[in-house]
Amino acid sequence: MTPWLMVTELAADLATGTLPLSDLTLLGDALGVCRPALGCGIAVAGAQWIARRASGPLTLPPMPFGMAAVAGPALNALLVLPMEVLLPRSALPHNIMADIVISLTGLAVGDLLGVLVLAPALLWVADAISQPRMPRRASVAVRALFEDLLVMAACLLLTHLLWRAGLGVQPMPMLLAGAWIGLRRGRTSAWFAILIEMLLFLPYSAGNLTDDARLELHLGIAAVVLVTWLAGSFADAQATAKKQLERRNRMLFQAERLKTLRGMSVAVIHEISQPLSTLAIEAAHLRDVTSGLGPDIVQSVELVDRKAQILAELVRTLRRFGGRAGAETTILSVGVLMEAARQIVAPELRAQSCRLALIDPSPDLMVEAQEIELTQALVNLLRNAIAASPHKSVRLRAKRSGNCVEINVTNVLDEIRLAGDMGMSTRSGMGIGLIIVRTIVEAHGGTLIRDDMGDLARFVISLPLAGPLP
Amino acid sequence: MTQSSPIATVAVLDDDADLAQSIARLLIRHGHHTAAFCAPELLLAAHTASPFACIVSDIQMGEIDGFSFAEDLRRHDPGVAFVFMTAWPTTAHAVDAVRRHGGLDYLEKPIAEPRLAAAVLEGLAWSLRERRIQAVSASFTRREREVYELLVLGHSNKEIADRLAISIRTVEDHRAAIVTKTRTNGLAQLVALSRGEA
Repeated sequence: MTPWLMVTELAADLATGTLPLSDLTLLGDALGVCRPALGCGIAVAGAQWIARRASGPLTLPPMPFGMAAVAGPALNALLVLPMEVLLPRSALPHNIMADIVISLTGLAVGDLLGVLVLAPALLWVADAISQPRMPRRASVAVRALFEDLLVMAACLLLTHLLWRAGLGVQPMPMLLAGAWIGLRRGRTSAWFAILIEMLLFLPYSAGNLTDDARLELHLGIAAVVLVTWLAGSFADAQATAKKQLERRNRMLFQAERLKTLRGMSVAVIHEISQPLSTLAIEAAHLRDVTSGLGPDIVQSVELVDRKAQILAELVRTLRRFGGRAGAETTILSVGVLMEAARQIVAPELRAQSCRLALIDPSPDLMVEAQEIELTQALVNLLRNAIAASPHKSVRLRAKRSGNCVEINVTNVLDEIRLAGDMGMSTRSGMGIGLIIVRTIVEAHGGTLIRDDMGDLARFVISLPLAGPLP
Repeated sequence: MTQSSPIATVAVLDDDADLAQSIARLLIRHGHHTAAFCAPELLLAAHTASPFACIVSDIQMGEIDGFSFAEDLRRHDPGVAFVFMTAWPTTAHAVDAVRRHGGLDYLEKPIAEPRLAAAVLEGLAWSLRERRIQAVSASFTRREREVYELLVLGHSNKEIADRLAISIRTVEDHRAAIVTKTRTNGLAQLVALSRGEA
């Protein structure tokens, strides 16, 4: 923004004729015009740099602004000297050090006061325009105002006494007052304090004074204003820091409480589920053996059994909410899972000269899962299918079905094996691989069913779909 | 063969004695011979006297957990089937239970009765098969076992000879010994035997 500011200043001065185009010292004058913008730009950049690098109350708003506001004018004044030396203007007859220093301090004080008095007011106006809100009620505590005025009056009195004693105008007491008000009340009060200080001292400094007295006064005023504004900014930054700390403490406390609550709920669920297991088994047994007895007994027992079942179901549901601990799950694409499984079984496919038809699912099918486990489940199903139909083909496909995704593994049933299966149907027919698949799928909140179609063996994994990725 | 084997017994292990009893009685109603235990040591002592076919075990049990108990027991007797149950189910546990610890199922408390019944039936059948296979291969020499394993996978004498780097003649000798020891008649019966379907 600094270059734009310089250009604007130049243009404004040219337009108003302050900068005479015909003059030989054009370059020097132009530089003089650009100098304030340059100084302020450097100050703002410096403050931002500090705010980024450092930590602590110095970096919290409004402290960076306070530093920039103070450093800008100071830098501006400091830049005058090297520029004057580098570009000696033609007419500098009374090249006296004191003169330059006095004019410089005058410049610094003027700039400082200008920035500090105008900038906060401008910012408040800008704030009010960008975020229109209900005008805050003037909540200035009367006591605080009274206290501040008292302090200020006391300090003024001290200054006055010193002046009356012939020691000149000493701004030191005002420095105390400014620091007091700034540190205790923040920027708004500091701003008013600066305003008052300015109104009191400036008319005096413009009066009839010797050079060294004026220099002293200028420096004094600069110090007072600086201290007042920095104190105000620091107090506000402290307040912000305190508020942030309090908020973090509250959040931490909340998190701690939630953790305790979770641990407690898991423990309670466990403690309940243990006796409830016994209760549910016995209630079901009672229901079975009492079915022939009188209707009153049957009714009571059925009620007990039903309530026990409801409680058992409740415990299972609660566990899904609070008690799920252990390995992390991620949102995974079903297509990626299928592809991973295909790569793992590729050697077995070749060995059995079996083909695998993988039908790419739509890419928006996502599940929340542990990748390794779910891939293992798919691999197991594929291995079974490959082993069952050598020299034939196995099909793997996934499709959406309501809120679930259905992953199908289909293969042609071998006739001999079909006959064998018939012969062994008394054996409840899930191999160890299938048990693993079922366990994994159920742990993911899904189901595994065998759904044969004619001479096709088909296993279907249903898993709840995960929401769209954030 | 059935008449020579003792009646398959199910053991229930849970540190909550009431629950162990309750599940044992439930399984008895399902027609199984069942015994309840509330401590692993007691079960181990009973198992040494007369081995169980299937053990329904809790996972969290005070000083010794169900998984390490299963591992210890398996080391002595690989033919016993395990069904795990827990009040603290986690996905990782569930998968471990079946994959690493050879459990046939992993049941959440409160127990779903049909699932428990199915798992126990499966466990008994699995144990029966395992024990038969063990009985068959126990009498083999190391070489005979290698030949037997390749045979039941469907390899020819020639392939076996190539793989084991021995002559076809030696393979035939081993094969004859295997048939004699198992008192089977031909390859089909050997294959059936390897699946525990004698």
